[in-house]
Amino acid sequence: MFRIINNLKNLSLDISPVVTDTFNVISVRWRRNPRKPIWKGTAKSKIFRVPPRPNIPEEERLEITRLYNKYRTEVKSINNYLTSKYNVENQQEDDKDLKQKQFEADLAACMKLNDEWNAKQKILREARTAAELQDLIKLAQEKKLITLEKRSQRLKEAEEIVKEQKELSKHFILPEMLDAEIEKSLANPVDHNFALDKEGNRIIGRETRPPLDKKVEKIRQ
Amino acid sequence: MPYKYIGRTLDHKGKTLWEIIGNLKNCGIGRVIARNMFERYPEPTFMRILEVEAHPSPEKITMDDRRRVKVLVDYTFRAKRLPEPLIIDAISYKADYKLIPKDEEANYCKGNSIPMKLMPKMIELPPLLKELVIRDNIANNEPIDKDNEIEIAYKRGPFANFRPVKENEKPDVEVTLGVGEPITPSLYKGIDLKQSSNVRHNKSQ
Repeated sequence: MFRIINNLKNLSLDISPVVTDTFNVISVRWRRNPRKPIWKGTAKSKIFRVPPRPNIPEEERLEITRLYNKYRTEVKSINNYLTSKYNVENQQEDDKDLKQKQFEADLAACMKLNDEWNAKQKILREARTAAELQDLIKLAQEKKLITLEKRSQRLKEAEEIVKEQKELSKHFILPEMLDAEIEKSLANPVDHNFALDKEGNRIIGRETRPPLDKKVEKIRQ
Repeated sequence: MPYKYIGRTLDHKGKTLWEIIGNLKNCGIGRVIARNMFERYPEPTFMRILEVEAHPSPEKITMDDRRRVKVLVDYTFRAKRLPEPLIIDAISYKADYKLIPKDEEANYCKGNSIPMKLMPKMIELPPLLKELVIRDNIANNEPIDKDNEIEIAYKRGPFANFRPVKENEKPDVEVTLGVGEPITPSLYKGIDLKQSSNVRHNKSQ
Protein backbone atom coordinates (compact mmCIF):
# COMPACT_ATOMS: atom_id res chain seq x y z
CA MET A 1 0.00 0.00 0.00
CA PHE A 2 2.81 2.34 0.94
CA ARG A 3 4.38 1.86 -2.43
CA ILE A 4 1.10 2.66 -4.13
CA ILE A 5 0.68 5.85 -2.13
CA ASN A 6 4.26 6.76 -2.95
CA ASN A 7 3.60 6.19 -6.58
CA LEU A 8 0.46 8.28 -6.49
CA LYS A 9 2.50 11.15 -5.10
CA ASN A 10 5.17 10.85 -7.79
CA LEU A 11 3.09 10.04 -10.81
CA SER A 12 5.22 12.35 -12.92
CA LEU A 13 8.30 10.16 -12.36
CA ASP A 14 9.10 7.73 -15.13
CA ILE A 15 10.34 4.86 -13.01
CA SER A 16 9.64 4.61 -9.30
CA PRO A 17 11.67 2.61 -6.78
CA VAL A 18 10.13 -0.72 -5.77
CA VAL A 19 9.30 -0.80 -2.07
CA THR A 20 7.93 -4.00 -0.56
CA ASP A 21 7.42 -2.75 3.00
CA THR A 22 3.80 -2.82 4.04
CA PHE A 23 1.83 -1.23 6.85
CA ASN A 24 -1.84 -0.65 7.54
CA VAL A 25 -3.55 2.58 6.65
CA ILE A 26 -6.73 3.15 8.65
CA SER A 27 -9.02 5.82 7.33
CA VAL A 28 -11.61 7.50 9.51
CA ARG A 29 -14.79 8.24 7.64
CA TRP A 30 -17.72 10.53 8.45
CA ARG A 31 -16.15 12.18 11.43
CA ARG A 32 -18.45 14.93 12.60
CA ASN A 33 -16.94 17.41 14.99
CA PRO A 34 -18.05 17.85 17.74
CA ARG A 35 -20.12 14.67 17.90
CA LYS A 36 -22.21 13.41 20.78
CA PRO A 37 -20.61 10.23 22.19
CA ILE A 38 -22.51 7.06 21.31
CA TRP A 39 -23.00 6.06 24.97
CA LYS A 40 -25.09 9.17 25.65
CA GLY A 41 -28.10 7.41 24.15
CA THR A 42 -31.03 8.89 22.30
CA ALA A 43 -31.76 12.55 22.91
CA LYS A 44 -34.94 13.27 24.94
CA SER A 45 -36.52 15.11 22.07
CA LYS A 46 -35.90 12.17 19.69
CA ILE A 47 -37.11 9.28 21.85
CA PHE A 48 -40.56 9.03 20.30
CA ARG A 49 -39.50 9.90 16.77
CA VAL A 50 -40.34 7.09 14.35
CA PRO A 51 -38.17 7.36 11.27
CA PRO A 52 -40.13 6.77 8.07
CA ARG A 53 -39.23 3.71 6.03
CA PRO A 54 -37.19 4.45 2.92
CA ASN A 55 -39.40 4.12 -0.11
CA ILE A 56 -37.16 3.07 -2.98
CA PRO A 57 -38.79 2.12 -6.30
CA GLU A 58 -38.27 -1.53 -7.24
CA GLU A 59 -36.35 -0.69 -10.44
CA GLU A 60 -33.93 1.55 -8.61
CA ARG A 61 -33.47 -0.95 -5.79
CA LEU A 62 -32.51 -3.68 -8.26
CA GLU A 63 -30.06 -1.38 -10.04
CA ILE A 64 -28.49 -0.21 -6.76
CA THR A 65 -28.11 -3.81 -5.60
CA ARG A 66 -26.50 -4.82 -8.90
CA LEU A 67 -24.06 -1.90 -8.84
CA TYR A 68 -23.11 -2.51 -5.21
CA ASN A 69 -22.59 -6.25 -5.80
CA LYS A 70 -20.39 -5.44 -8.78
CA TYR A 71 -18.42 -2.88 -6.79
CA ARG A 72 -17.86 -5.27 -3.90
CA THR A 73 -16.70 -8.10 -6.17
CA GLU A 74 -14.24 -5.83 -7.97
CA VAL A 75 -12.82 -4.37 -4.76
CA LYS A 76 -12.49 -7.84 -3.30
CA SER A 77 -10.65 -9.00 -6.43
CA ILE A 78 -8.21 -6.09 -6.25
CA ASN A 79 -7.75 -6.68 -2.53
CA ASN A 80 -6.95 -10.35 -3.10
CA TYR A 81 -4.53 -9.49 -5.89
CA LEU A 82 -2.64 -6.93 -3.80
CA THR A 83 -2.57 -9.25 -0.79
CA SER A 84 -1.18 -12.14 -2.80
CA LYS A 85 1.41 -9.88 -4.39
CA TYR A 86 2.69 -7.89 -1.41
CA ASN A 87 1.87 -9.86 1.73
CA VAL A 88 5.02 -11.01 3.53
CA GLU A 89 3.48 -14.38 4.41
CA ASN A 90 2.70 -15.10 0.77
CA GLN A 91 6.25 -14.28 -0.27
CA GLN A 92 7.65 -16.94 2.03
CA GLU A 93 5.23 -19.62 0.95
CA ASP A 94 6.96 -19.98 -2.40
CA ASP A 95 9.99 -21.76 -0.91
CA LYS A 96 8.46 -25.21 -0.71
CA ASP A 97 11.68 -27.13 -0.03
CA LEU A 98 12.46 -25.01 2.99
CA LYS A 99 8.98 -25.59 4.38
CA GLN A 100 9.30 -29.33 3.79
CA LYS A 101 12.69 -29.38 5.53
CA GLN A 102 11.36 -27.39 8.46
CA PHE A 103 8.43 -29.74 8.72
CA GLU A 104 10.65 -32.81 8.66
CA ALA A 105 13.04 -31.38 11.28
CA ASP A 106 10.08 -30.52 13.48
CA LEU A 107 8.62 -33.98 13.02
CA ALA A 108 11.97 -35.65 13.90
CA ALA A 109 12.27 -33.54 17.06
CA CYS A 110 8.70 -34.39 18.01
CA MET A 111 9.27 -38.11 17.42
CA LYS A 112 12.45 -38.07 19.55
CA LEU A 113 10.64 -36.37 22.40
CA ASN A 114 7.77 -38.78 22.05
CA ASP A 115 10.10 -41.79 22.22
CA GLU A 116 11.70 -40.41 25.38
CA TRP A 117 8.32 -39.97 26.99
CA ASN A 118 7.31 -43.46 25.95
CA ALA A 119 10.44 -44.99 27.53
CA LYS A 120 9.76 -43.15 30.78
CA GLN A 121 6.17 -44.20 30.73
CA LYS A 122 7.14 -47.83 30.07
CA ILE A 123 9.16 -48.05 33.30
CA LEU A 124 6.35 -46.45 35.28
CA ARG A 125 3.73 -48.66 33.64
CA GLU A 126 5.62 -51.91 34.35
CA ALA A 127 6.12 -51.01 38.02
CA ARG A 128 2.46 -50.11 38.32
CA THR A 129 1.21 -53.31 36.67
CA ALA A 130 3.46 -55.49 38.89
CA ALA A 131 2.13 -53.78 42.03
CA GLU A 132 -1.41 -54.18 40.76
CA LEU A 133 -0.85 -57.91 40.14
CA GLN A 134 0.45 -58.39 43.70
CA ASP A 135 -2.59 -56.58 45.05
CA LEU A 136 -4.88 -58.79 43.01
CA ILE A 137 -3.20 -61.99 44.22
CA LYS A 138 -3.54 -60.85 47.84
CA LEU A 139 -7.18 -60.02 47.34
CA ALA A 140 -7.85 -63.43 45.74
CA GLN A 141 -6.24 -65.25 48.66
CA GLU A 142 -8.34 -63.33 51.17
CA LYS A 143 -11.45 -64.15 49.19
CA LYS A 144 -10.51 -67.84 49.11
CA LEU A 145 -10.16 -67.95 52.91
CA ILE A 146 -13.54 -66.29 53.36
CA THR A 147 -15.17 -68.80 51.01
CA LEU A 148 -13.68 -71.79 52.84
CA GLU A 149 -14.85 -70.41 56.18
CA LYS A 150 -18.35 -69.93 54.83
CA ARG A 151 -18.42 -73.46 53.40
CA SER A 152 -17.45 -75.13 56.72
CA GLN A 153 -19.98 -73.00 58.57
CA ARG A 154 -22.74 -74.14 56.21
CA LEU A 155 -21.72 -77.85 56.65
CA LYS A 156 -21.95 -77.47 60.42
CA GLU A 157 -25.43 -76.00 60.19
CA ALA A 158 -26.60 -78.84 57.92
CA GLU A 159 -25.30 -81.48 60.32
CA GLU A 160 -27.16 -79.89 63.18
CA ILE A 161 -30.41 -80.02 61.22
CA VAL A 162 -29.85 -83.72 60.45
CA LYS A 163 -29.28 -84.45 64.13
CA GLU A 164 -32.48 -82.70 65.10
CA GLN A 165 -34.51 -84.61 62.51
CA LYS A 166 -33.06 -87.94 63.69
CA GLU A 167 -34.18 -87.15 67.23
CA LEU A 168 -37.69 -86.42 65.97
CA SER A 169 -37.90 -89.59 63.87
CA LYS A 170 -38.16 -91.77 67.04
CA HIS A 171 -41.86 -90.87 67.37
CA PHE A 172 -42.74 -91.63 63.74
CA ILE A 173 -45.42 -94.34 63.02
CA LEU A 174 -43.86 -96.95 60.75
CA PRO A 175 -45.92 -99.24 58.43
CA GLU A 176 -45.21 -102.28 60.66
CA MET A 177 -46.63 -100.50 63.67
CA LEU A 178 -49.69 -99.18 61.87
CA ASP A 179 -52.21 -101.95 62.85
CA ALA A 180 -51.24 -101.87 66.47
CA GLU A 181 -51.50 -98.10 66.57
CA ILE A 182 -55.00 -98.20 64.99
CA GLU A 183 -56.14 -100.76 67.53
CA LYS A 184 -54.74 -98.62 70.27
CA SER A 185 -56.49 -95.47 69.12
CA LEU A 186 -59.82 -97.31 68.65
CA ALA A 187 -59.57 -98.68 72.14
CA ASN A 188 -58.98 -95.23 73.61
CA PRO A 189 -61.38 -92.81 71.92
CA VAL A 190 -60.75 -89.16 72.72
CA ASP A 191 -63.67 -86.77 72.95
CA HIS A 192 -62.55 -83.18 72.30
CA ASN A 193 -66.03 -81.68 72.82
CA PHE A 194 -66.79 -79.73 75.92
CA ALA A 195 -69.46 -77.47 77.44
CA LEU A 196 -69.28 -74.47 79.78
CA ASP A 197 -71.54 -73.84 82.81
CA LYS A 198 -72.49 -70.51 84.37
CA GLU A 199 -69.40 -70.43 86.59
CA GLY A 200 -67.15 -70.95 83.62
CA ASN A 201 -66.22 -74.54 84.42
CA ARG A 202 -65.28 -76.62 81.44
CA ILE A 203 -67.14 -79.93 81.27
CA ILE A 204 -65.21 -82.21 78.86
CA GLY A 205 -66.95 -84.74 76.67
CA ARG A 206 -70.18 -84.69 74.63
CA GLU A 207 -71.97 -87.33 76.62
CA THR A 208 -70.82 -86.21 80.06
CA ARG A 209 -73.59 -84.99 82.31
CA PRO A 210 -73.25 -82.19 84.89
CA PRO A 211 -73.19 -83.20 88.53
CA LEU A 212 -76.79 -83.50 89.81
CA ASP A 213 -78.40 -80.79 92.03
CA LYS A 214 -78.97 -81.47 95.65
CA LYS A 215 -82.71 -80.95 95.08
CA VAL A 216 -82.78 -83.50 92.36
CA GLU A 217 -80.79 -85.81 94.53
CA LYS A 218 -83.25 -85.16 97.31
CA ILE A 219 -86.23 -86.05 95.11
CA ARG A 220 -84.54 -89.20 94.12
CA GLN A 221 -83.98 -90.03 97.75
CA MET B 1 -60.81 0.52 21.79
CA PRO B 2 -58.74 -0.91 19.02
CA TYR B 3 -55.02 -1.25 19.56
CA LYS B 4 -52.85 1.44 18.04
CA TYR B 5 -49.27 0.36 17.41
CA ILE B 6 -46.52 2.96 17.58
CA GLY B 7 -42.95 2.46 16.37
CA ARG B 8 -41.04 1.05 13.48
CA THR B 9 -42.80 -1.42 11.21
CA LEU B 10 -41.52 -4.95 10.82
CA ASP B 11 -40.66 -7.16 7.87
CA HIS B 12 -41.28 -10.29 9.91
CA LYS B 13 -44.68 -11.93 9.92
CA GLY B 14 -45.65 -15.16 11.62
CA LYS B 15 -44.76 -17.08 14.77
CA THR B 16 -41.55 -18.04 16.53
CA LEU B 17 -40.31 -21.54 15.85
CA TRP B 18 -41.16 -22.76 19.34
CA GLU B 19 -44.75 -21.51 19.07
CA ILE B 20 -45.18 -23.82 16.07
CA ILE B 21 -43.13 -26.82 17.17
CA GLY B 22 -44.32 -26.85 20.79
CA ASN B 23 -47.90 -27.36 19.65
CA LEU B 24 -47.25 -30.18 17.17
CA LYS B 25 -47.43 -33.92 17.69
CA ASN B 26 -43.94 -35.46 18.08
CA CYS B 27 -42.50 -31.91 17.98
CA GLY B 28 -43.40 -31.67 14.30
CA ILE B 29 -40.68 -34.01 13.03
CA GLY B 30 -41.18 -34.46 9.29
CA ARG B 31 -43.24 -31.29 8.87
CA VAL B 32 -42.39 -28.44 6.53
CA ILE B 33 -41.82 -24.92 7.85
CA ALA B 34 -41.22 -21.78 5.81
CA ARG B 35 -40.05 -18.27 6.55
CA ASN B 36 -42.14 -15.35 5.44
CA MET B 37 -39.00 -13.27 4.72
CA PHE B 38 -37.92 -15.59 1.91
CA GLU B 39 -41.26 -15.58 0.16
CA ARG B 40 -40.07 -12.49 -1.71
CA TYR B 41 -38.13 -14.83 -4.00
CA PRO B 42 -40.01 -16.64 -6.75
CA GLU B 43 -38.25 -19.94 -5.94
CA PRO B 44 -39.46 -21.84 -2.86
CA THR B 45 -37.53 -21.72 0.43
CA PHE B 46 -38.51 -24.20 3.12
CA MET B 47 -37.14 -26.55 5.75
CA ARG B 48 -38.12 -30.02 6.84
CA ILE B 49 -37.66 -30.78 10.53
CA LEU B 50 -35.41 -33.74 11.37
CA GLU B 51 -34.63 -33.40 15.08
CA VAL B 52 -35.77 -31.11 17.88
CA GLU B 53 -34.07 -30.16 21.13
CA ALA B 54 -35.90 -27.81 23.47
CA HIS B 55 -34.34 -24.93 25.36
CA PRO B 56 -35.68 -23.86 28.76
CA SER B 57 -38.32 -21.20 28.65
CA PRO B 58 -37.37 -17.75 29.93
CA GLU B 59 -38.99 -16.80 33.24
CA LYS B 60 -41.21 -14.26 31.57
CA ILE B 61 -41.74 -14.41 27.84
CA THR B 62 -41.58 -10.91 26.37
CA MET B 63 -40.93 -9.52 22.93
CA ASP B 64 -37.26 -9.09 23.86
CA ASP B 65 -36.87 -12.52 25.45
CA ARG B 66 -38.67 -15.21 23.53
CA ARG B 67 -38.26 -18.95 23.84
CA ARG B 68 -35.72 -20.48 21.52
CA VAL B 69 -35.49 -24.06 20.23
CA LYS B 70 -32.69 -26.03 18.63
CA VAL B 71 -33.82 -27.74 15.46
CA LEU B 72 -32.00 -29.82 12.87
CA VAL B 73 -33.52 -29.17 9.46
CA ASP B 74 -33.19 -30.27 5.88
CA TYR B 75 -32.82 -26.80 4.36
CA THR B 76 -33.78 -25.69 0.88
CA PHE B 77 -33.06 -22.10 -0.14
CA ARG B 78 -34.48 -20.81 -3.41
CA ALA B 79 -35.07 -24.40 -4.58
CA LYS B 80 -31.44 -25.35 -3.84
CA ARG B 81 -31.14 -28.05 -1.22
CA LEU B 82 -28.25 -28.00 1.23
CA PRO B 83 -26.28 -31.25 1.03
CA GLU B 84 -26.05 -31.46 4.84
CA PRO B 85 -28.66 -30.74 7.50
CA LEU B 86 -28.57 -27.34 9.15
CA ILE B 87 -28.96 -26.45 12.83
CA ILE B 88 -31.35 -23.59 13.54
CA ASP B 89 -30.97 -22.23 17.04
CA ALA B 90 -29.93 -18.59 17.33
CA ILE B 91 -32.51 -17.39 14.79
CA SER B 92 -35.38 -19.50 16.14
CA TYR B 93 -36.66 -16.57 18.22
CA LYS B 94 -37.67 -14.63 15.11
CA ALA B 95 -41.43 -14.38 14.74
CA ASP B 96 -41.22 -15.07 11.03
CA TYR B 97 -41.98 -18.80 10.71
CA LYS B 98 -45.08 -20.46 9.42
CA LEU B 99 -46.23 -24.06 9.21
CA ILE B 100 -47.17 -25.47 5.82
CA PRO B 101 -50.26 -27.70 6.03
CA LYS B 102 -49.64 -31.28 4.94
CA ASP B 103 -51.90 -31.08 1.90
CA GLU B 104 -50.12 -27.96 0.62
CA GLU B 105 -46.58 -29.29 1.11
CA ALA B 106 -46.17 -30.78 -2.36
CA ASN B 107 -47.44 -27.65 -4.03
CA TYR B 108 -45.35 -25.31 -1.86
CA CYS B 109 -42.07 -27.16 -2.34
CA LYS B 110 -42.45 -27.34 -6.11
CA GLY B 111 -40.17 -25.12 -8.22
CA ASN B 112 -36.90 -25.02 -10.10
CA SER B 113 -33.75 -23.22 -9.03
CA ILE B 114 -31.98 -20.60 -11.11
CA PRO B 115 -29.69 -22.27 -13.69
CA MET B 116 -25.93 -22.00 -13.11
CA LYS B 117 -24.41 -19.01 -14.86
CA LEU B 118 -20.86 -19.19 -16.23
CA MET B 119 -18.82 -16.07 -15.46
CA PRO B 120 -15.45 -15.00 -16.82
CA LYS B 121 -12.45 -15.82 -14.68
CA MET B 122 -10.37 -12.69 -15.21
CA ILE B 123 -11.05 -8.96 -15.18
CA GLU B 124 -8.98 -6.01 -16.31
CA LEU B 125 -7.31 -3.90 -13.64
CA PRO B 126 -8.66 -0.42 -13.03
CA PRO B 127 -6.80 2.20 -15.09
CA LEU B 128 -4.64 3.78 -12.39
CA LEU B 129 -3.62 0.51 -10.78
CA LYS B 130 -2.88 -0.89 -14.22
CA GLU B 131 -0.55 2.03 -14.90
CA LEU B 132 1.28 1.35 -11.65
CA VAL B 133 1.60 -2.35 -12.42
CA ILE B 134 3.03 -1.55 -15.86
CA ARG B 135 5.57 0.78 -14.28
CA ASP B 136 6.49 -1.93 -11.80
CA ASN B 137 6.97 -4.37 -14.65
CA ILE B 138 9.22 -1.97 -16.51
CA ALA B 139 11.26 -1.32 -13.36
CA ASN B 140 11.68 -5.03 -12.69
CA ASN B 141 12.48 -5.89 -16.33
CA GLU B 142 9.37 -8.00 -16.77
CA PRO B 143 6.93 -8.17 -19.68
CA ILE B 144 4.55 -5.22 -19.71
CA ASP B 145 1.46 -7.45 -20.02
CA LYS B 146 2.18 -9.26 -16.76
CA ASP B 147 -0.65 -9.02 -14.18
CA ASN B 148 -2.73 -6.64 -16.25
CA GLU B 149 -5.67 -8.92 -15.60
CA ILE B 150 -6.63 -10.33 -12.20
CA GLU B 151 -8.81 -13.13 -11.01
CA ILE B 152 -12.33 -12.16 -9.98
CA ALA B 153 -13.19 -12.98 -6.37
CA TYR B 154 -16.66 -14.43 -6.75
CA LYS B 155 -18.82 -15.40 -3.86
CA ARG B 156 -18.67 -19.17 -3.37
CA GLY B 157 -20.95 -21.45 -1.48
CA PRO B 158 -23.84 -23.85 -1.85
CA PHE B 159 -26.33 -21.15 -2.80
CA ALA B 160 -24.25 -19.31 -5.44
CA ASN B 161 -25.91 -19.57 -8.82
CA PHE B 162 -22.82 -18.63 -10.79
CA ARG B 163 -19.26 -19.88 -11.08
CA PRO B 164 -16.09 -18.91 -12.93
CA VAL B 165 -15.44 -20.80 -16.15
CA LYS B 166 -13.00 -23.70 -16.29
CA GLU B 167 -10.71 -24.46 -19.21
CA ASN B 168 -12.37 -24.80 -22.63
CA GLU B 169 -15.56 -23.16 -21.44
CA LYS B 170 -17.12 -19.99 -22.67
CA PRO B 171 -18.63 -17.50 -20.21
CA ASP B 172 -22.31 -16.63 -20.57
CA VAL B 173 -21.79 -12.97 -19.75
CA GLU B 174 -19.05 -10.41 -20.15
CA VAL B 175 -17.77 -8.54 -17.10
CA THR B 176 -16.12 -5.21 -17.66
CA LEU B 177 -15.06 -2.35 -15.50
CA GLY B 178 -17.45 0.54 -15.09
CA VAL B 179 -21.21 0.59 -14.78
CA GLY B 180 -21.79 -2.56 -16.79
CA GLU B 181 -25.04 -3.61 -18.37
CA PRO B 182 -27.95 -2.11 -16.39
CA ILE B 183 -31.04 -4.11 -15.40
CA THR B 184 -33.26 -1.07 -16.00
CA PRO B 185 -31.92 0.98 -18.91
CA SER B 186 -34.63 3.60 -18.36
CA LEU B 187 -32.63 4.98 -15.44
CA TYR B 188 -29.75 5.85 -17.77
CA LYS B 189 -31.82 7.70 -20.33
CA GLY B 190 -29.69 9.94 -22.55
CA ILE B 191 -26.38 8.41 -21.49
CA ASP B 192 -24.36 6.28 -23.88
CA LEU B 193 -22.93 3.74 -21.48
CA LYS B 194 -20.85 1.90 -24.04
CA GLN B 195 -19.24 5.04 -25.35
CA SER B 196 -18.48 6.39 -21.90
CA SER B 197 -16.83 3.14 -20.84
CA ASN B 198 -14.86 3.04 -24.10
CA VAL B 199 -13.61 6.57 -23.55
CA ARG B 200 -12.39 5.65 -20.12
CA HIS B 201 -10.81 2.49 -21.43
CA ASN B 202 -8.93 4.35 -24.17
CA LYS B 203 -7.74 7.00 -21.78
CA SER B 204 -6.24 4.41 -19.50
CA GLN B 205 -4.26 3.00 -22.36
